[in-house]
Amino acid sequence: MGQQILNAIFIGSIYALFAVGYTLVFGVLDILNLAHSAVFMLGAAVTYTLVVNHGQSFWVACAVGIVVAALMGLVIEYVCLRPLRRRQAPPIAALISTIGLALIIVAAIEQGRPGTLFAWLWLDGANPVTMPPGSFPNPTWHVAGLTLEASKLAIIPISIALMLLLGYVMRFTQVGRGLRAVAENPRAARLMGIDVDRMISLTLIISSALGGLAGILFGVALGDISPYIGRDSVEVRGLAVIVLGGMGSIPGAVLGGYLLGFIEVLAVVLLGSNVRAGVAFAALFLMLVLRPQGLFGAQLREKI
Amino acid sequence: MRRVGLVSVLVAAVIAGACGSAGGGGTTTNTYNGKTIKLGAVLSITGAGGVYGPQSRDGMNLAVDQINKAGGVNGATIALTVKDDASDKAQSATVAQTMIQSDQDLALLGPTLSNSAVAVHPLAESLKTPILAVSTTGINIVPNCNFPNTTPCKYVFRDSLGEETAIPDNIKSYAADAHPATGVLLVAQDDKFSSDGGKIVQDTVGTYNINLLKTIKFNKAEADLSPYVTQAVQLHPDVIFITSLGGIPAKIMTEARKQGWQGQFLGGNGFNTATVSKNAGAAGLGARSASAWYLGNSFPSNAEFVTAFKTAYGHDPDQFAAQGFAAIKIIADAAKRANLTFSDLPGDRDKLRSAMETVNIQTPLGPFQFTSNHDVKQTVWIIKMDGSGGFTLVHEIKAS
Repeated sequence: MGQQILNAIFIGSIYALFAVGYTLVFGVLDILNLAHSAVFMLGAAVTYTLVVNHGQSFWVACAVGIVVAALMGLVIEYVCLRPLRRRQAPPIAALISTIGLALIIVAAIEQGRPGTLFAWLWLDGANPVTMPPGSFPNPTWHVAGLTLEASKLAIIPISIALMLLLGYVMRFTQVGRGLRAVAENPRAARLMGIDVDRMISLTLIISSALGGLAGILFGVALGDISPYIGRDSVEVRGLAVIVLGGMGSIPGAVLGGYLLGFIEVLAVVLLGSNVRAGVAFAALFLMLVLRPQGLFGAQLREKI
Repeated sequence: MRRVGLVSVLVAAVIAGACGSAGGGGTTTNTYNGKTIKLGAVLSITGAGGVYGPQSRDGMNLAVDQINKAGGVNGATIALTVKDDASDKAQSATVAQTMIQSDQDLALLGPTLSNSAVAVHPLAESLKTPILAVSTTGINIVPNCNFPNTTPCKYVFRDSLGEETAIPDNIKSYAADAHPATGVLLVAQDDKFSSDGGKIVQDTVGTYNINLLKTIKFNKAEADLSPYVTQAVQLHPDVIFITSLGGIPAKIMTEARKQGWQGQFLGGNGFNTATVSKNAGAAGLGARSASAWYLGNSFPSNAEFVTAFKTAYGHDPDQFAAQGFAAIKIIADAAKRANLTFSDLPGDRDKLRSAMETVNIQTPLGPFQFTSNHDVKQTVWIIKMDGSGGFTLVHEIKAS
């Protein structure tokens, strides 16, 4: 059981980190950025490519992976969101445009084979790949019947530290106050002299950097990097997490992430292995019926 | 509720489809000279089967090149079109239908995955078009492609070794070598190939006194398999059976070794490609499976094939390349003897089908004939992963 609890904490941390980015954009803009899962995948894919195909060190590759993910956040803002916002398009339009961008990013990675236009970006087409052993330090310890692997253990402090940092920035800094003001009422924020577009760009950059980092940690720790990891592993689960935690709430997304991790692993252990997804989404459904505002509901919740 | 609405939009929106068409047809002479034999291959170039499809394609293209350069089939040129089904059952059927009805291909090859074959093969059967499976190894592929209807399908053939032969042979050989007492089965429940393989494992282990402690099911798209592997490892089995395909076997092996498990991995056809062996790396060392083909096999036409493949593509072929190569040679041999008219497509398809039943040629898989059920009868090679992307031979089991 101990090992399974560790498994739950590992995967819960990934869900939480991914969902924090999701919920941040939702909190500020009131729209779901469905390209977030593609950014998650892009972070992992760029890191892998830099290490394996371009011979870079793992740490340089990680840094570049996060920067590329953050820049992709700007692309999302400039291509998918801002033009629609200017024309006051309904939120569903932004939802669809982000889905479109996600499909384009996935397709670009899928095309990456030797001799193609995207060969510099990715070489393995649709195939899942693993970071070669030895490309990053990954000692493994066996303690009291538990297997502790550095790449997985590292996820926990990294996730928690980043989420605490984000919480601090939101609450106690000028930028955080600006973001919260935009979330509360963009028009009033603009009248108070806040550059709303800049704040939104910043939101997308922070959100996508977190998403990209989550992707890198996921790809490294689980040995699975492919064009589909975002779509298959975190896209719908990320939505489940932010609904569980309360849409737009950062502490809610963190708690929701760990909760979903535990629900999934407990489902495997207690109810049998073939009900994992079913139980997780039954919990989501129950939450929607019993407490539609999520764990951090309306009274507790302050926007982002 | 609005949020539920958003979730449904997301789920509904992640859907894509593709189709294409081209015209074609024959003329009225009954000589082969200058004619074109149009073949269509439905392969998984992307998606879960993307590990296997490109190998089949390369093997097929090599055979087409060789035949055309040597003067074609009685003077007729083979034109092979390969289309990607993205490992998706529905897309596979759409592609096959386009090839049969719009492209008017004489015969089809594929699809790569058994999961897609249950959609494509009944379609080819109903449209009376010969189809040769090159990598599908599940249950009820031939002859009963319309399972649970057990009427034998007349137009469906396969040159790939069925798991019903391969998995029991593999278990039997390991049981004789190491006498394992216990096993755990890990199976992707939402994939026909994997669940068929799992069923064969369950039906076989008792014969060799292996106690199957637990069958652990998961979904093929799940990236995090650690909870399942932890469950398996904590039962301390002698053997872990893996019947999945694509990236899954390597992930299970890596995770189980990290968790300190030292036992034996036994698998199915999903192990038999270099990508899987490479991804598993040191964790896969010694993992055993039964294969339809082995790089160093001593059949005369194998060495020739291996050399030609390496010259063309710069790397060794694998089992899927050998089966794809053999498939084109089989259809070419049948076409040569079928007295095709090139003017009556339904008639030509029927003639080709009859001629395929009597194929008797040398291939890299060995001397090739179909059984009366349109299945392959051949030597089985028990191979094990060498820990660095290749395989070594353990046993050779001659066709009985």
